[in-house]
Parts: sequence; structure tokens; C-alpha cells
Amino acid sequence: MRFCLIIGFLLAATRVFADVSVVASVDRNRISFGESVTLTVAVQGAHNGEPSIPKVDGLTFNGPSTSTSFSFVNGQTSQSISYTYQVTPGRTGEFIIPAIGVNIGNNTYSTTPIKLVVEKGGSQGDLGQTPFGRVVLPSQQVYIGQTVPLDVYIIWRPEVPLRGSGGFNYQAEGLGYKFLPNLKSGSQVINGEQFNVGVFQGAISPTTTGTLNFGPCFLRVQLTVPNRGGNSLFDDMFGRTQVREVPITIDAVPVTVLPLPEEGRPSDFSGAVGQWNLEVTAKPAEVAVGDPITFTIKISGNGNIDTVPTPKLGALDEFKTYEPTTKTTKDDLNTTGERVIQQVLIARSTEIKQLPEVRLTYFDPVARAYKVATQAPIKLVVKAGSGGQSTIVSGGNRLRPEEKLGQDIVYLKGDLGPVPLATPFCATPTFWALNTMPVLALLGGIGWKKRSDKFRGDVAYARRVRAARDARKLLAAATNYDEVQHAMQNYLGDRLNIPAAGITASVAEEQLLPRGVDTQLAADLKACFEACDTARFAGQSADTGLAATRKNVERLIDELEKTHL
Amino acid sequence: MNLRRHIYKVVILVWLLGLSVAIAAPSDDLKAANQLYDAGKFAEAAVAYEKIEPKAAHVYYNLGNAWFRQDKLGLAILNYAQARRLAPRDPDILANLKFAQQRLGVDDVNTPPRATQRFLRSVIERCTASEWSAGELVGLWLLALAIGACVYIPKARAAFLVIAVAGFFVFGFSSFALSDQVISNHIAPQAIVVAAETEARFAPLSDSTVHFRLAEGTRVAIREDRGQWLFVERADGQQGWVKAESIGRITNF
Repeated sequence: MRFCLIIGFLLAATRVFADVSVVASVDRNRISFGESVTLTVAVQGAHNGEPSIPKVDGLTFNGPSTSTSFSFVNGQTSQSISYTYQVTPGRTGEFIIPAIGVNIGNNTYSTTPIKLVVEKGGSQGDLGQTPFGRVVLPSQQVYIGQTVPLDVYIIWRPEVPLRGSGGFNYQAEGLGYKFLPNLKSGSQVINGEQFNVGVFQGAISPTTTGTLNFGPCFLRVQLTVPNRGGNSLFDDMFGRTQVREVPITIDAVPVTVLPLPEEGRPSDFSGAVGQWNLEVTAKPAEVAVGDPITFTIKISGNGNIDTVPTPKLGALDEFKTYEPTTKTTKDDLNTTGERVIQQVLIARSTEIKQLPEVRLTYFDPVARAYKVATQAPIKLVVKAGSGGQSTIVSGGNRLRPEEKLGQDIVYLKGDLGPVPLATPFCATPTFWALNTMPVLALLGGIGWKKRSDKFRGDVAYARRVRAARDARKLLAAATNYDEVQHAMQNYLGDRLNIPAAGITASVAEEQLLPRGVDTQLAADLKACFEACDTARFAGQSADTGLAATRKNVERLIDELEKTHL
Repeated sequence: MNLRRHIYKVVILVWLLGLSVAIAAPSDDLKAANQLYDAGKFAEAAVAYEKIEPKAAHVYYNLGNAWFRQDKLGLAILNYAQARRLAPRDPDILANLKFAQQRLGVDDVNTPPRATQRFLRSVIERCTASEWSAGELVGLWLLALAIGACVYIPKARAAFLVIAVAGFFVFGFSSFALSDQVISNHIAPQAIVVAAETEARFAPLSDSTVHFRLAEGTRVAIREDRGQWLFVERADGQQGWVKAESIGRITNF
């Protein structure tokens, strides 16, 4: 048993080492002096083995930083490790980074040499005279049909802000250049100095081979510069500036477009270029004869998805097929994409055991080789239909074709319909009056309720409030001095919240004077009481002076109503 | 029971007062314009619809159809949107608006990105501003009457409190919807892109950098008006300057 495991492990290890590949690449082949490039050594199919970086006169290598990945695609596992170095040139000129060796197990793998050109800082833009532009291309050697990012940089000093740009013009015949119109901003250190950078992100997808040129490019930028025409002291104080338009010309960059290699080209290659993954699913995997199966093929990856044809399927004679639906999505620059092909299949026989193999052949420009993505046949279980038959059935009778309804706008209307008012309802006085009314009514109602409650619960308050009204009623009905006096007693009793029956002239004076009533008023009241007493005891008739006394009492009640007791 | 009857009367009265629209009889001008449309003279029909006053909901709707037939889908969407402001629940208007937006592929662009925003927008646009005004009044009266009843009829306080809470929510949401339709529309009027493709720029200058592009039929809010240039905001929050002639304003509310 142990022996078998060891043999299995060795076979697996042999298989792993047999698939190992090592590729070195730099993010740019042409840089200005003072900049650095990123060198990446990617080891596919292994998870160890550090590269031996050779010494190159004039180049300094810093690093590495590593990243590992493990993936399971198309039923196959793969692992990789990447080593990243920052390469800084010490002088201008052409450099060759020689083959880099990587020891994995007992084998040594080598990368291909890389050419690096370091130019003077002023060759693509004079740092002393910003703004200037430059073209950044990861590699100047590309394959036809390959999609490669190509960015156009505008570089300017932070102290002279860029207000806008326009009129971007370029020559890129045969390169199929596309760019995003939105300027992406950032910053970059060049020769140890901080600059602001605006990038037109783009990509090329060459359509012809040979040595082509990207550029020259032309564009105009608007810079905000201090206003030199006016009073410089005030300009500096108040930040007065003016907009100056500056034209920028960027030199052409040569791009070598290689044809796809003839060597190793599979017979079924149909022009797909990029790095593509294939995923195939079929649902359900267990069906009855006549039932539909949704067969989905998903192709995704880096490259121009438009170059990827629909994969060829094997024999589908035992299935009734429907027209496949295809949905393609891609990014704005066509550097990544995804295509999902869905086909409905109807199993005609219980003899069907699997779905056919799916195969996609493409050229991988990074590995510089043709590759095949395949999906092993998917197992199916097809049972007899509901009638218990296992013979071929007519799919057309089982599935009614989906009815396609026509679509158009709804026809005209014959009446005018709702008409807008000249003034919206919410802007009319009626609306605001109706808004105010419930608030006022509510406040009034609550106030009234409080008053009623107080009347019921506070006797003194109730007597005080009613005093004048009741007294005036009694006075109005009084026909003799006795009734006039009774009205006065009632009024004072209610106002002072004391029994009315015992109120005499002296009691009234005693009660009123301490409460701050004017002495004259108290005296007048006392006089009224005495006049009534005199009249009553003397037996004077109502005709003599009653009206004057009643009037006098009314006046005194009015005066007392104005007084806070 | 008596109180309930009064509340019912008030609600009906306020609702009737709140209705800002009236159903108008078909006019001869509309019939004539429809005949031009039926004869396939869509350009003439559009001119005839433009002349009809007042601009009722179905005039805008028919005008939208006339522009649609001329393949001016931006103008069609603008007029359907105008019609929807007046008759927000008319199924034909909603169907044609949706169809035209789908034809231009802007139905997603014109939809707010967040689910809560989408829900609020769909609810608020279900009624006209006048209907929300009436709703606000109903809510306020209900709230005031229920609070008053709580004070005067303490035995039924619990029931009236429920009515008061309901009234408060009706009042609150109607006020919110009304302010959204009227005040927001005053601050940032809604508009539709009617030009085939419009570039939104960083500055109101012809050669300033293009920030993004607005497809025909895209709904925008006008944040600033500088005559020939408008500063607009798309439903996803992107902002930029566009030329005024490429935008049509939705005027009714």
C-alpha cells in the first residue's frame, strides 16, 4: 500500500514538473532615466524555486516580493508563484536583462532575455517645461489580434493646476486603438520630483502585421496660471489667475506587430487570441426522454472576446436542438470579456449517456503558444418518458414553441385627459387656509376644554368669572333697594369667594381695602350700602333715587372688574 | 358616529378640493391632429399637438407618440414624462414611457441605484402634486380631529390615538412627497436628454474634458442654469455641464 502511494506521488510530481514554465516580463521596455520598471518572474506549475537574478552593469534590482496562486479551472489544478523586482537604471542606454534561472526540483528553467531602453528624461518630455505627454505601452512587440493596454500620460507640475484638456488627436493606423475619454488623475515621482499625472487609458488591438507607429499625438490642455498682467501683490493676495491653453505633442512610438506563429497551430484554431477559461454546465443531469436540458458554455478571460468563436460541439444527433442564445459582456477597452452560450437540448433516447466534449483552441500571447481549453464530456442519465417508452420522441410535439408577441407603443388617446390648473392647488390660499384651520380649531378646542375643566373644579374661579354677569342680571331686574343691595352682596361674595348673606358696608370695606382697592372706590361702595340701608329702613319708595343708585352700583361693579382682587 | 360622519365629509371635501385636474372634453384641434397622425403625417401631427392649449395629459401623450414615430425617442420620452406628471397612473402613458426607454436602453440609467430610492420614487410618482396636497390636508385634519377627540372623549382615547398616528403618517409622508415634487423640482428641475448623444463636461466650455456621455432619453436634474450651459446630475449621481439645447425640461407638476 505504502509503495503504491510513493509511486503515485512520484507520478504526480513528474506530471507537475513536466508542466512547469517560467516567464519573465517587465511592465515597460522603454523608460526615462530616473524611473524604474517592475520585473516579474512568473513560475507556472510550481510553488517554490526562487530566481537567481544575474548582475547587470548599471541596473539595480530590489526585491523580491512574492505572490502565489492556486486555481482549479476546466477540471485541472494549477499553481503559480510570482517574484516581483523593482529595477532602477543607474545610467541611460540599452540594457539586456539576461536569462534568469530558476531551480525547481532537479531541473533548472530559464527565461528569455529582456531588452530595456533607458532614455534621457527630456526625450519624451522636458521636465523643466511641463506639461508634457508620453505614451506607456507594456511591450512594443505584440501579436495581431492581441489586446494590449496603451496609456497616454499628461504630466504637469502640481503648482500649475490643470483645468481641462481637449482636442486629443492621434495616429494609430492598423493598431485598432480605443481609449476612455475620462482623464484618470494621479501623481508620479520622476527624478525624485512629484508631478501630477492625467492618464487617457486605452488599448490597442492590431489588425495588420509589421512595424507600425502609435502617434504622434496632439492635445490641448488648459492650465490655471497666476495672472501676471495685473498688480502682482493683489493677485497673490486674492489668488487671481488666468487660464492658459498649451498644445502638447507626443512623439510616435514604434509597435512591432507579429503574425500568429504557424508552428504548433492546431487545425481547429479559429483566431481566438488571449487567455481564456472554459466552464461548461448542463442542468439537469438526470432527465426523462423529451425533457429539456440547458447546456451552458461560459468563456471568460483576458483578450478581445470578439475574436473568440463559439466552441464546436461534438455530435448532437441524439438530441433535438434549439437555436443557442449568446450573451457577450466586455469592458470598455475590450481587454477582458465573457461570453455565455446557452443551448436547450432535448434528449431523444435513453441510450444517451453523456453530452459531447467542448473544445476551444486559442493563442496565448503571454506564453507565446497555442493552447486548448477542453471540458470533459458531462455524464447524463436519461430515463424513459412518462409513457414508459424509451424510443425517440418528437420534441416538437412535447414543447410548444414560445409565442413571440409583437411590441409597440400604445395608440393615441381621443380625449384631452387631465388638464393642469393654472395655479397648483398647493399654491392657492384655499390650501393654506385649510392647513391653518385644523391647527387653530385644535388649539381653540383644547383651550375651551381647559377652561371648562377649571370651571368645574375651581369654585372660587367659577364664582369670580360669573360675578359681574350675575350681578348685572340682578340689578337689571331690581325693583327696590333691597334687591339692589342683594345684587351688590352677591357680586362681592362671588368676587371675594365669601358668603354673600353676611356682607355689609363695613364687611365690604374690611375685605376690599387690604386687597388694594382704591379707598375712594371702597368709600363709594360703602356709601351705596348705606344708601340702600337708609332707603330700606326709612321706607323710601323705589321711585326716589333707585335708578341713580342702580346706575352707581353698575359703575362700581365696572370699576371693581378692572381691579385685581 | 356623528363625529365619524363629519370626518368623512371633511375628507371628501378636502379630496375634491385637492383635485387640481379636470377631465376635459375632446377638442377639435386634438381630433384634427389625431387625423394627421392616422394619415402617417407624424411631423405635421407633432406641430398640431404642440399648438393645442391647454396642454392636457393626453396631448403630451399623443405628441410623444408622434415623436416616437419620427424616431425622436428623446423627445417622445420627454412628452411621456410630461403626461405622467399629469396622469401618473395612466397605464398607457406608463407603458409607452417604459417602451421608449427600453428602446433607447436608458431604463436602467433613469432608475435610482439604491432600492430605497427606487421605492420612494415609485411611490411619490404614483400621485400628482395636487393629490399629495389633498393627502396632506386629509392627514392633518385627521390628526387634529383625532387629538381633539382624545381630549373630549377620553373613554375612546386608545382608538382615537390610533387614528391620530395614522393621520400623522399620512400627513408626514404626503408633505414629504409634496415637497419632493414641488420644492425639489423648483431647486433642481427634472429634464430629459433629447439630443442623440450629449457630452457632459467638467466645465461649461466647448473644449473642456468630457466627463461622461449622456444617452438620448436619460433623465437628469438641472442643478445650475447658465443660459447656454446647464449643470446636470444623472440618477447615479454623476454631474457635468451640458449644452442647454440638448435638454428638454419637464415643466408640469
